[in-house]
Amino acid sequence: MSPGAVGGLFALNLGYAVMGTAFVWAVRGAPCWSDIARLCGLGYLVGVAAFGVVWTELLVLGVPFGGVQVAATLVLGTALGAAAGIWRGTALPRRTSGASSGTTTSLLVTAVGVALVGLLFEAFFRSARLQSVQAFDAWAFWIPKAKAIYFFGGLDEQIFTVSAGPTYPPLLPILDAAAFHAMGSADVVTLHLQFWFLVLGSTAAVAGCLARHVPAWALWPSLLLVLTVPRFGEELMAPQADVLVDLFFVVGVLLLALWLRDGRHWRLCPVTLLLAGAALTKREGLLFAGVALVVAFATAWPERRRAWPPLAAVTALVVVAAVPWRLWYRSHGIGGEAPSDVGGSGSADRAWDALRLSVDVLFDSSLWSVLPFALVLSLAFAFAWGSRRQAVFLGAVAALVLFGGAWVTYSYNDLAVTADEALNPIVRYTGSLALLAAVAMPLLLCPRPKERSS
Amino acid sequence: MIVLWLALVVVAVAVRYPDTFRAANQTARANAALDLLDRKVGGGNSVIPDQEVLFEALGRIPANETFAVVVGEPQEGWTDLTATYAETFLRYFLLPRRIDPKARWILCFACDPSAFPAVRVDWEGENGIAILRRQP
Repeated sequence: MSPGAVGGLFALNLGYAVMGTAFVWAVRGAPCWSDIARLCGLGYLVGVAAFGVVWTELLVLGVPFGGVQVAATLVLGTALGAAAGIWRGTALPRRTSGASSGTTTSLLVTAVGVALVGLLFEAFFRSARLQSVQAFDAWAFWIPKAKAIYFFGGLDEQIFTVSAGPTYPPLLPILDAAAFHAMGSADVVTLHLQFWFLVLGSTAAVAGCLARHVPAWALWPSLLLVLTVPRFGEELMAPQADVLVDLFFVVGVLLLALWLRDGRHWRLCPVTLLLAGAALTKREGLLFAGVALVVAFATAWPERRRAWPPLAAVTALVVVAAVPWRLWYRSHGIGGEAPSDVGGSGSADRAWDALRLSVDVLFDSSLWSVLPFALVLSLAFAFAWGSRRQAVFLGAVAALVLFGGAWVTYSYNDLAVTADEALNPIVRYTGSLALLAAVAMPLLLCPRPKERSS
Repeated sequence: MIVLWLALVVVAVAVRYPDTFRAANQTARANAALDLLDRKVGGGNSVIPDQEVLFEALGRIPANETFAVVVGEPQEGWTDLTATYAETFLRYFLLPRRIDPKARWILCFACDPSAFPAVRVDWEGENGIAILRRQP
């Protein structure tokens, strides 16, 4: 709870941002410093994903985890990004931007949006700063696993096999353990600020990626609505993996949607890291990554000769990243993460009830306010007047994620068909759809694809 | 349709924003009002009936040692979660101290000390909770 711990966390997250931004610069280029500023949120999230993915593989290989290793990873990752950029001949950013910064109205909407979001994050910071660990999953297994990595320097066999959720991947505990090193102790109270940084960085990533593609009046109200729905707010800072897996997935889907629009292949590099991060954050991360990639393959059918090979490479890399952890837990005698009934012999009644539960939870205004209705409205607009391709892609991703939630309830026989969070994770799962709405609505409301070259 | 969407979203934000801001402020105030121990124990306050045992265990059991948790019949003052989740919470709270059934230290929740040969009560609290230590 000391200022030193907060300062350590700030330095760690700055390290993620610098490393990830170097990577984004290397693969994309950034003609001016305003591009760097705009894309530093994406860089941050990419840095977090890269750090988590790399250390998951290293821990599986038995490499010890410590404060020196955390710092070395960030320095080495930044150097590698910079070296790759120089090797590819990427120009250094110029001081000024030649592009117009938009109309007065859009500047005004952006200024008001930034101010309101900033004010909200200031309030979230104060509420997270002294928050105690309350959530069951946090103290039952997420934080014990993080403490085990912090204290014992690796995937401690006792904690990782005895704790609840032994098949849950270790990316979040790795980030928590890095935060403990940055804070100088296993300070589970200040740890909540790590989640504040993650949500702040992801919000910056979404705003930065969309700023040049959608009008400000569509972007900022969408972001504000998602941040203020009853279910979110401070819940976004709970020290669990539910929000992080959603953030990786949602920003990955956003980049895939933009790639389908403009075909710029650099976008697939961060997509690979983000979807690999999702697959190593929670079990449903595999489902989310699969949904995003399958729908991208289908949507890219008309230009499959050009689009499918890089998508296949992304898919292969995500699978390669996801496998070692699965091998580790299987080699330690832990059962698979597949559900008890993959879908063959369950009753039709249970399938129907599970689907109805998913839809009921999604359209529960006490959880998500008007967000699902606004999403449906923007989908209808896109089908009628906007980019049908974006509507097909984003609508199919949303629908498959919704069906995925129903499938989870249906196929895990021990889950009750109820929205009670102690008995079924469907409410937390549906958070992915709510966050998806934040990136989908502005894209869907954009009348036609528009790329202002930077 | 865009006007309808914008109206819906702007009205919802106008309603929700002050509530979200107020809720965050209330949480910040409530968190600041907690004492250090309550904040450190967090969710354990609904599992462990006597907070003192947690800090006694932290002080008495060296960080490189192990402990066992033995739970007997539920006692008055225990919560519904005590018998089921005491061990889970203690595993989290006392790390890097590991759990080992043969450990020198035993966190006893209404257990029968006579079941363990050569133990002495190191600390005893309320609700049948004690810290036992096996004699060498």
